[in-house]
Amino acid sequence: MDFNFSDDQEQLRDAVRKWVDKGYDFERRRSIVAHGGFSREAYTELAELGLTGLYIPEALGGLGMGPVEGMVVMEELGRGIVLEPLTQALIAGAMLSYYAGPDLQEAWCAKVAGGEALVVLAAQERKARYDLSVCNTVAQKQGNGWTLSGAKSVVPAGDLADAFIVPAKADGKLALFLVERTASGVTTHGYLTQDGSRGAELKLSGAPAALLTLKGQEALEHATDIGIAALCAEAVGVMDKTLAITVDYMNTRKQFGVVISSFQSLRHRVADMKMQLELGRSMSYYASLKLNAPTDERRAAMSRAKFQIGNSMRFVGQQAVQLHGGIGVTDEYIVSHYFKKLTQMEMSFGDTLHHLGEVSSRMQDTAGVFA
Amino acid sequence: MDLNFTPEEEAFRQEVRAWVRANLPQETAHKVHNALRQTREDMQNWAKILGKKGWLTYAWPKQFGGPGWNAVQKHLFEEECALAGAPRIVPFGPVMVAPVIMAFGNAEQQQRFLPGIASGEVWWSQGYSEPGSGSDLASLKTRAERVGNKYIVNGQKTWTTLGQFGEWIFCLVRTSNEGKPQTGISFLLIDMKSPGVTVRPIKLLDGECEVNEVWFDNVEVPAENLIGEENKGWTYAKHLLAHERTNIADVNRAKRELERLKRIAKAEGVYDDVRFRDEIAKLEVDVVALEMLVLRVLSAEKSGKQSLDIAGLLKIRGSEMQQRYTELMMLAGGPYSLPFIQEAMEAGWQGDQIGALHCAPLAGSYFNMRKTTIYGGSNEVQRNIVAQTVLG
Repeated sequence: MDFNFSDDQEQLRDAVRKWVDKGYDFERRRSIVAHGGFSREAYTELAELGLTGLYIPEALGGLGMGPVEGMVVMEELGRGIVLEPLTQALIAGAMLSYYAGPDLQEAWCAKVAGGEALVVLAAQERKARYDLSVCNTVAQKQGNGWTLSGAKSVVPAGDLADAFIVPAKADGKLALFLVERTASGVTTHGYLTQDGSRGAELKLSGAPAALLTLKGQEALEHATDIGIAALCAEAVGVMDKTLAITVDYMNTRKQFGVVISSFQSLRHRVADMKMQLELGRSMSYYASLKLNAPTDERRAAMSRAKFQIGNSMRFVGQQAVQLHGGIGVTDEYIVSHYFKKLTQMEMSFGDTLHHLGEVSSRMQDTAGVFA
Repeated sequence: MDLNFTPEEEAFRQEVRAWVRANLPQETAHKVHNALRQTREDMQNWAKILGKKGWLTYAWPKQFGGPGWNAVQKHLFEEECALAGAPRIVPFGPVMVAPVIMAFGNAEQQQRFLPGIASGEVWWSQGYSEPGSGSDLASLKTRAERVGNKYIVNGQKTWTTLGQFGEWIFCLVRTSNEGKPQTGISFLLIDMKSPGVTVRPIKLLDGECEVNEVWFDNVEVPAENLIGEENKGWTYAKHLLAHERTNIADVNRAKRELERLKRIAKAEGVYDDVRFRDEIAKLEVDVVALEMLVLRVLSAEKSGKQSLDIAGLLKIRGSEMQQRYTELMMLAGGPYSLPFIQEAMEAGWQGDQIGALHCAPLAGSYFNMRKTTIYGGSNEVQRNIVAQTVLG
């Protein structure tokens, strides 16, 4: 029962924080948004820090680190609302390392770790919402390989990724496949998403694919849980910075001859934001520490965490805008961008209501962290 | 970073669990588990059992006879007591006045008062709040006038919890009107059997007399009962607050009560009602988050790091949790929470039940718990304190 970080973890945090503070300021971010929401250069810089290979074992070319390191890294990237989806590299690294065969590992792990290959999870389907068991993409055996037909939505950096991890039904059972963007039968349509990052629609028409694993449901749930834990950590970073920006503003902005931070109703609002931040941070620790738990325990823990984080993000984001007054709703000023990032994370990997349903249906007689 | 307790910590837990379950009287545990009326004997008996073991003073420094437990061990002890259905330790003696006597009292006072507190033999009450001084405690008016080798005390204290059982009361009294109010307050120990002390019960909205008024009419108090120096009482009282106590979150009881809520909801047929179940699910997550917050504070204490400075969050959240689980239990009882049969609050009552027996105390618990966001520093005051740490 120990929530201290090791020296190595603190150094990792420092390294990422320095990169964000010195190399990814708000102006650079704005410029990336203006150019489509994804910078290959910035992604490469993340790779140079070793981050894209965080969850890939050393033997396969990565750093061989675990959930706590992932949590530390994502929190720091959250503070800078970094657009480049490192979460996808964490997911892809884990999927390739733990579920793929040696051929696929040899072909992709080192490239993912080195940043040469951006591999993203393309799972969202139009009829599915957040239900991981709904999948209308079909895999057909073709000789020694497979072809995939179907459509996936809101794929992070989808029109720029090198390859996709795609859930598809093979003989009616969910499996995971790897599809290269340059393969035949693959079309993408890219766009900006609400928080400024890049997304895309993916259409597959008989596209050649490599089988990643037949244990599709298990792997997809695991991928989602890795995503949830990463998102929770990222959200803590975003909320922490959002609160700091708000505090600075309140201690500077004067009305009626005094700084607005002197008004008690606003001070209480800040106390409530601090509460939500710390509850969120607590559940982010919980999520990362449960990421390697047995499946049912892990799934329940992620839903509990996402439910708390969802409530926290909503409150912190909305109140940060409110406490800024008029400038809080402008594009020019920074806080609306933090608010939009928090909002986008609500609708990623299952929203608060969805996870409430999960917590509810998984409820046991017992109570507490260790139950 | 590791969520789990160490093997040594788990072994300690098992040791404490075995002792508590072997020594906690079953009738008392039954009352606690079912929110039935506890008697003075239930509470004091348990205090004496703990006292004999040396565990009533579980948080005292070793030099004063404490067992020398670290933050985690104290937490595990509190948890095992709560899970077993032990009555909450009456804190006024062992948790509130004893640390002040240990830190600021003289050797004679320590010898005179500490053994009775440690054994559970002497029941202490707290004399802080007054009708005109709640959140603004420093404005208190109960006067202690030094005359020769005595103080003559006149005034009134209120909200004195379980004061009807109290034998001694520790009071913040005014000994000077000069300067800021805080600098004219002294810390005085008063024998409640002294002439001029009158205790009057205050009936709360749940029908029980948990708190009292205590009137002081020319009460003579030996000067030897003054703790430390005159007019320094406020700093002595604040000393208590400086130490983060994770117990304030009451998360161990919250876990026990959440399990009870689920049992009651199942018995009342609402557990399968999706809407009601979702409300329980929300509370389920809230309890996990609060427990994680407590564990984070414990971890910081255990490793000797600077405390996380989030004690205010623990009190705010813990009290909101207490209110929510009592509310949901009452709602689970539904219409059968409405009959107000005071006799049904006694363990072993065999009268005419209206609905299930477990429904009888539910509304009363909900009503009683409205106090939790008010006492111990109201949640509004706590928010002021938290805001200070964030905004400066």
